[in-house]
Amino acid sequence: MTLSRPEIAAKVAEAVITASTTFRPDQKEAYQRAVLCEEKPEARWVLETILENARVAEEKRLPLCDDTGIPHLFLEVGDEAVLPPGFFAAVQEGVREGLRRLPGRPMAVLGEGLQRIDQSGGLSGDSGDVLPAPVQIQNIPGKKVRLTVLLLGGGPEIRGKTQRVFHHHSGEVVLAEMVRWAKEGVARLGCLPGVLAFGIGRTNLEAAVLAVEALKDGDFTVQSALEQQITRAVNESGIGPLGLGGSATVLATFLKIGPQRASGVRIVSLRAGCCFDPRRASVVF
Amino acid sequence: MIKIFPPVAEAQISSLKIFDRLVISGPILAGRDAALPRLVRLVAENRLAETGLDLRGAVIFHTAVSPAGIGPTSSNKEEIENSIPALSRAGVKIHLGKGSLHPETVASLCEHGAIFAVTPPVSALLTSKIRARRVAAFPEEGMEALYLLEVAELPAIVAAAHGQSVFNLNGAKNPAPKGGERQ
Repeated sequence: MTLSRPEIAAKVAEAVITASTTFRPDQKEAYQRAVLCEEKPEARWVLETILENARVAEEKRLPLCDDTGIPHLFLEVGDEAVLPPGFFAAVQEGVREGLRRLPGRPMAVLGEGLQRIDQSGGLSGDSGDVLPAPVQIQNIPGKKVRLTVLLLGGGPEIRGKTQRVFHHHSGEVVLAEMVRWAKEGVARLGCLPGVLAFGIGRTNLEAAVLAVEALKDGDFTVQSALEQQITRAVNESGIGPLGLGGSATVLATFLKIGPQRASGVRIVSLRAGCCFDPRRASVVF
Repeated sequence: MIKIFPPVAEAQISSLKIFDRLVISGPILAGRDAALPRLVRLVAENRLAETGLDLRGAVIFHTAVSPAGIGPTSSNKEEIENSIPALSRAGVKIHLGKGSLHPETVASLCEHGAIFAVTPPVSALLTSKIRARRVAAFPEEGMEALYLLEVAELPAIVAAAHGQSVFNLNGAKNPAPKGGERQ
């Protein structure tokens, strides 16, 4: 990689803004399909309004949602790639610049210790002070380096969880539990239709990372049989767009099953994603 | 489409039912997790006059107000949902947000002649409906301060009115909220 630090930062800033303001083609297609299938007029109105919002957001480069989210970064580094000195600092600078230009929501909490928990120290007025979560790194073949920016909003954080499931040596037991969690989560979420992200791993960290990885790679138009089974089961709830009732409660499921350990327990992580998830954009260096 | 111009009269609330589509134009309050419990305390301590606000007939939108725009936050977050009964008693007629409410909250809305409406979190569109904004109270809360907004044709759908709720209609198939759980 021969890019300078300011060049890296500029590309990352662009990715932050694109992630926040743009629906990808597979996302638009999923919504268009849902509009056609939805029979309830108020549910259709919600779906059409979300598509209209995406059109305006993309055209005017405005945030799709005012909860501009916590940046989560996924870095895929080619086996033959070399990262220049200062690469991570440049990425951090790019995120900060992207959030300022967006502008992101100024939601960084000031103060130390309990003050930072009870919010009594107030908020930073600088959108750029919203620091990204720790960077996840994976290796890939080749010379390329790819950085994906995901912006994770707060609603789905309340509705998600990472917990052990006793599988009783039956995949169906785990699936039934996942569907139960998902129904519980989306029933209270409001921002529907959503998208479910699941990771199944050996530890809490691994499962949660797998769920975020599922969001990084997920495509609304490419769904495995298992993913379709979960989506169908959750849509049977009839919760519908904005919780008003209807057939489109979730548009898709993104599932990653990682390595497992010999045990009667699986660690499952769910993010009950909202109607804009996954807000993501990639930059290739 | 029913036009709402706050302050909202009791007679208009009586005529509204679930699934009615609304467009709201005029002054509305905007507040969420940090501001609403503080507003409830001001009312309880009889100090609302300090803010110069009148809650009679008011519309309160559960949103942050920031350079990123506005958009409904989950109304079933503890601090927001718990503010609904007291603020309805103080005269608020329309609580606007998103997400399902507990049955006891729906009942308290009915008791105080108020309703709950929802709107999609479409910030790019909703933000374009703001004509004016100012901090009405608690400026130290930043984007979570209480704001007074002037909006033009903000869209919403009635989700709970007169003891009925769109969220109950899915009822049998929906997992019931656990007792006391307020996420």
